[in-house]
Amino acid sequence: MTERVDLQEFIGGFVVEAAELVTAANAALLEIEAGHAEGTSRPKAVRDVFRALHTIKGLAGMVGVEAIVDIAHGLETLIRTADRAGGQLSRAAVEVALQGVRAIGERVRAVSEQRTPAAAPPRLLEAIASTDATGDAPAVAPQVSAELDARLSPSERAQLANAVAAGAPAWMLSFAPSESNAARGVTIGSVRSRLATLGEIVKVAPRTVTGPSGAQLGIAFDILVVSSAPRETLADAIAASLESVAPVLAPPPPVAQAPLPAGPGAEPSTRELAERDDATADVVPIGRAVIRVELSRLDELQEQLSLLTVSRFRLEREIAAMADAGHDVRRLRQVADLQGRQLRDLRRAILRARMVRVAEVLEPLSLLVRSLARSSERAVRLELDARDTELDKAVADRLLPAMVHLVRNAVDHAIEPAAERRARGKPEAGTIRVACTEIAGNQLELVVSDDGRGIDRAAIARRSERTIDHDADLLDVLCGPGFSTRDVATRTSGRGLGMDIVRRIAVSDLGGELRLATTPGAGTSFTMRIPLTISIVEVFAFACGRQAFVVPVSAIEEIFEIADAGITPPSAPGGRSQVSLLERRGRAIPMFSLGRELAIDDGAAARKAMVIRRGGEAVAFSVDRMLGRQEVVVRAIDDPLVQAPGIAGATDLGDGRPTLVLDLGELGLAARERQLP
Amino acid sequence: MTATLHVTFRVGNATYAVAASDVLHLESYDTATHVPGAPSYVAGLVQVRGRLVPVIDLRIRFGLPPADASAPGPPASQAAIDRRVVVLQLGTRVAGLVVDSAREVLKIEDTAFERPPEIVVHQTAGFVKAVATVAKRMYLLVDLPRILGEELDHG
Repeated sequence: MTERVDLQEFIGGFVVEAAELVTAANAALLEIEAGHAEGTSRPKAVRDVFRALHTIKGLAGMVGVEAIVDIAHGLETLIRTADRAGGQLSRAAVEVALQGVRAIGERVRAVSEQRTPAAAPPRLLEAIASTDATGDAPAVAPQVSAELDARLSPSERAQLANAVAAGAPAWMLSFAPSESNAARGVTIGSVRSRLATLGEIVKVAPRTVTGPSGAQLGIAFDILVVSSAPRETLADAIAASLESVAPVLAPPPPVAQAPLPAGPGAEPSTRELAERDDATADVVPIGRAVIRVELSRLDELQEQLSLLTVSRFRLEREIAAMADAGHDVRRLRQVADLQGRQLRDLRRAILRARMVRVAEVLEPLSLLVRSLARSSERAVRLELDARDTELDKAVADRLLPAMVHLVRNAVDHAIEPAAERRARGKPEAGTIRVACTEIAGNQLELVVSDDGRGIDRAAIARRSERTIDHDADLLDVLCGPGFSTRDVATRTSGRGLGMDIVRRIAVSDLGGELRLATTPGAGTSFTMRIPLTISIVEVFAFACGRQAFVVPVSAIEEIFEIADAGITPPSAPGGRSQVSLLERRGRAIPMFSLGRELAIDDGAAARKAMVIRRGGEAVAFSVDRMLGRQEVVVRAIDDPLVQAPGIAGATDLGDGRPTLVLDLGELGLAARERQLP
Repeated sequence: MTATLHVTFRVGNATYAVAASDVLHLESYDTATHVPGAPSYVAGLVQVRGRLVPVIDLRIRFGLPPADASAPGPPASQAAIDRRVVVLQLGTRVAGLVVDSAREVLKIEDTAFERPPEIVVHQTAGFVKAVATVAKRMYLLVDLPRILGEELDHG
């Protein structure tokens, strides 16, 4: 039993980590491809791909997903060859590697959905095995001295050569950690991050420092950096004198005071290299501490917070009651006010913990554009500018499908074929730009724009038989269900444009806005404004007095037919809140008519009872009938005009109208209070 | 002389005006979600372009009989078609006014506004802060903060 649970947790961890590694491998492969376009090689990216695949293979082996092990192993072999050859990966190899990584991704998803992943396709494995790893990649000439050259792996050598070819000199720095340095906050970690801002770090190698007598004095680091920063700045970055910063290109540097662990002339295998780098990583603290938390745990935290908010509400009432009884409650009230502020801060902190970086959320769009461009035979470039924006994880998960639709439409409908673009005097490659900015009111603005042909209003007006005066009208037509500008279904977007889905996500699901601006011949932009956070709650929907309401499932203990329960009718008729007593499993539960409590009807049509329990005592409310159970986005009602007891917010059940979310706990307290003399 | 753009609308037998700079948009009006416990002049909540907007029924706010109570039949349904929500932004608040009809956008000279006659102030419960006569028609400039119940912010 416990073993099973442990395995489940382990698989959850595997899925999260493998999915991240798949993303990392994809990003690195795309970077290598970008290098091809510029005629440079990207040895660091090749090494990143190698490491990601190596780790995926290990993880998959531990959870016994052989299909992933097979694919990752094939790719690892392919990439290792490239790494040994100086980090040059051919176009064909990038292509097959992207296919392989996608196959891995599909299998990770299968594991996460508790399906059995398909075996590795033999054709893919063959393709990987028969691909020439280095082939047509640009050649890199070695440019460093023989002595230093011997200390570098082929990929580091290529990385160095590349960086130097880009116009910056290379330096060998010698950093010796000391107590006085540490006291000033200068450690190898801080040095690393300082240097990373000044240039590119090629290699960090620890060595033992020995005194004249041969005794060990401590540890020092040799850091090979390519940077155009002045020598003084580099010396400053490692808190050392100028002598500790030596130029690496001719003449040969007199820096190697002790042989490196690998020894001169040794050609370390990539595996050793990966392990050695990992060992260095153990010594070097990483700047930002990050842990992974399952979303459900954060939800749990939020649920606890809402319970705390309810108990605080009760505290307020008790204080008010004491004050009414003539007690001095000033100090008590001070504490309660302080607690209120702390609760608000806590809520804010929990919301922050749920935020993810938009840049990461939208990362899959790069791959999407690449594959769409290929299948539609158009040259398309994606510019992603998410800056440092962040978004609630729950919003991010809902947002992505809308962004996929918009980007897909842009490739498929907006960007013209290369010949047409040339004829119009546009660059052959189309550009799709996705930009995000945080705007006032805790909202995020996302703009998806293209430099394509724009939307032909007249054609759309003809097709839809409507007059279209503004872009707003145009958007309305485009968002009609199933509307399409094409008669032929295309492979990428199918028949419908899917704009109805985009609008539903932006407006109904996320409570945002969608706008459109288009200029014929110049391009189209869609602007989406969505809240940074939303709260998603599972609710029961029910009818009461000709109106629909919802209430969180978590607030309801039980729902049953009133006819099935023993009821003692109210003994004292008249008054707004009549109470009857329900007999339920030997307990007597007070039942109020929700219709009467809300003053919307007389409660005569009530057939169902909902039992709630907040703070100990159970209370039941009678309602007309249940309408269903679903997940909804709850939006706060913050205007004072519509703030009323028991009204917690509003949601859209899909009919485009607001439906009120009730807090029956609050109504229950109010009703019970009225019953007491 | 400066003139300001105003959105004009009808409620009952009078024509009212609000500065166009306070108006976000005009929407057709069907029905609002009733909010139990809200003031009686609050018709409820509507969703406008994805935004939750509380709406005030100006007939009730001005003490006129509700539109629905007028005699049923074709004229009444025409009245229902004409009804609009004037969506306003006042500082950070967004709210709507349900009016009988709203069509015209009009430039009114700033100097055209005068203090309303005492009888108007009395009849409109202080919701009218000025009166302008343009081309022999009278426009009543409404006091938006008062209509939206700014005092609710502190109560």
